[in-house]
Amino acid sequence: MTNKQQISLSNRLLLVVSLVLTAFLGVSAISLNNAFQTSAENAQHKRLKNYIYTILTAADFNNDGTIHMPEQFAEPEFSTPNSGLYAQITTGREIVWQSQSSLGLFIALPDHPGPSNEHFSTIELQNGSKLLNLAYGIVWENDNGKKFGYTINVAEDLNAIYQQKAGFQRSLWYWLGGTGLMLLIAQAFILRWGLRPLHDVTIDLHAIESGDKSRLSDNYPKELCQLTQNINTLLDHEQSRRERYKNSLADLAHSLKTPLSVFRGELDSNVEIEALRQSGHEQLDRISAMVDYQLQRAATEGKSNLLAPVSLAEIIYKILGTLDKVYRAKGVQCQCDIENDIYIHADKDDMYELLGNLLENAYKYCNSQTSIILQSLQNHIQIRIDDDGNGIPEHAQEDILKRGKRMDTQVEGHGLGLAIASDIIEAYGGEISLQDSYLGGAKFIIQLPKD
Amino acid sequence: MRILLIEDENHLREQITQQLQQQNLTIDAAADGEEGLFLGTEYPYDVAIIDLGLPKLSGIEVIEKLRKAGKEFPILILTARGRWQDKVEGLESGADDYLVKPFHIEELSARINALARRASGWSSSVLQCGPISLNPTSQQVTNNGVTLDLTAYEYRILHYLMLHSGQVLSKTELTDHIYEQDHDRDSNVIEVFIKRLRNKLDPDKTLNPIETLRGRGYRLTLSRDQ
Repeated sequence: MTNKQQISLSNRLLLVVSLVLTAFLGVSAISLNNAFQTSAENAQHKRLKNYIYTILTAADFNNDGTIHMPEQFAEPEFSTPNSGLYAQITTGREIVWQSQSSLGLFIALPDHPGPSNEHFSTIELQNGSKLLNLAYGIVWENDNGKKFGYTINVAEDLNAIYQQKAGFQRSLWYWLGGTGLMLLIAQAFILRWGLRPLHDVTIDLHAIESGDKSRLSDNYPKELCQLTQNINTLLDHEQSRRERYKNSLADLAHSLKTPLSVFRGELDSNVEIEALRQSGHEQLDRISAMVDYQLQRAATEGKSNLLAPVSLAEIIYKILGTLDKVYRAKGVQCQCDIENDIYIHADKDDMYELLGNLLENAYKYCNSQTSIILQSLQNHIQIRIDDDGNGIPEHAQEDILKRGKRMDTQVEGHGLGLAIASDIIEAYGGEISLQDSYLGGAKFIIQLPKD
Repeated sequence: MRILLIEDENHLREQITQQLQQQNLTIDAAADGEEGLFLGTEYPYDVAIIDLGLPKLSGIEVIEKLRKAGKEFPILILTARGRWQDKVEGLESGADDYLVKPFHIEELSARINALARRASGWSSSVLQCGPISLNPTSQQVTNNGVTLDLTAYEYRILHYLMLHSGQVLSKTELTDHIYEQDHDRDSNVIEVFIKRLRNKLDPDKTLNPIETLRGRGYRLTLSRDQ
């Protein structure tokens, strides 16, 4: 465990989603606001231009340069004082005409953009209100060809548009805020639902810790299945190993009692030191063999797909190299027929013990010839080991393969190595059988299941 | 025959030393890997017995270093765990045989004798040269079936001469292989031992089993019967 506790998955997701959502909604708000402002301004400009045309259409220009304007316009705002919509026609610094709404509000405006030109400006009135003004220059030629220059000003109060904008922004924030909040709530639910299986695994693991359950349930979504299955495999593996430990410890304690009590009996009754020594040696040998055997049994890893694959050929060649050296004087001939690409998910030590014990027996009990065949069959790996020794008498065959059951009474010779080998084979769900060899001695056939 | 024993358990080391000395073998014992490696590279041994779990320098490392230094004497490893991976690793690093603890001392001396025999080209367990026969297990020497009564050093010299029969062995070499590391040495004593051996092996002066090559050493002339 690291000292620094990492942020929980759901908090991470929630944090990231909130940040992304905020950024997204913020950017949306800004762009929507900008779009609204632009379109509102454009609309105002267009409106002001339309007013200019309305005034132009309504105006009657006289030959002396005066202008006659109608009393009423289609837009009543021109006639209502302080309506927020104002119009003025100037020539030079002189006001030629102004709408009723603008009476007393402003003096002649100085803007003269020139004929057919328009110019927008913002003006501030004395009472503090702001107006957007459009000045438009025209030239009127009377019947005598005399030209008069005018400027038509149309101004609209900006307050209205400000209010419109503020209203839009308000509702924009309400909507976006509401949407964001709803998305966050939805997100929280989705996260909770999505991460539920992880939560379930935690609960399951707690149940295993407290002993209420022995393994994780099987109905997890497929993304988690690999993990939970592996955890289950590990749990099963641990469980069977624990059992083996327990069994071998119990067996060891139990089986040690026999030689101990035999020797105690000898001590009590026997007076002859030579016989006592003899008996002491025998019982010590038995004890030593039992310790070896039970230790090996406890150390056996057993089958697990979590173990890295090991090459059986490599192990066999290494053991044969060792045996060739040790049994050099005997000059053993070993015929090998070994498939090199056979791998098995197993503990290396287990495979060394299994093959080491079997091959050493072959070297020990052969006259001069042994053979080993390693091949991959459909569902299992087969190992056949032959020797040309005296073989194993039929009545002893069953005992010898009965994994260590008779260990406290029979330890010599083939017994110990084979008992260890058959225990390992059983731990891997395999089988061992014994036949007469074509070489004349014993033939051991071992089948180990592939995965 | 001189043996190097590297074993860190005091009790076991002393026991093995004592019991092998009783069998007329010359033993130098070391309690850790470094001391063992030093002895192994300094002195000529006929066999080394090396425990795998040693302090300072592991048994495997000692074996590798000895082999790297060109030492070719046979090595027997002792292992407490008896794991096959240990055995394989030990033999791959250069050892020649293994023995799993606990073992009988008879088993150990049988393995040592077998390794020494094999290294000097003998195949039978009893060394037989002409009428002379030496059994390393019982330490019995016979001439034409008649048991000879030899002292410990006479036996050691004869054992070494027979292991290397036909080869010329200098006085220094004989001294090296019959005395422990810290023993007072006097190579002149060898002459005395050889003279006594000649008298015991060949009282009638007809066999002439050991010839003297002036300035070079001694040679057992009897041919091996295997």
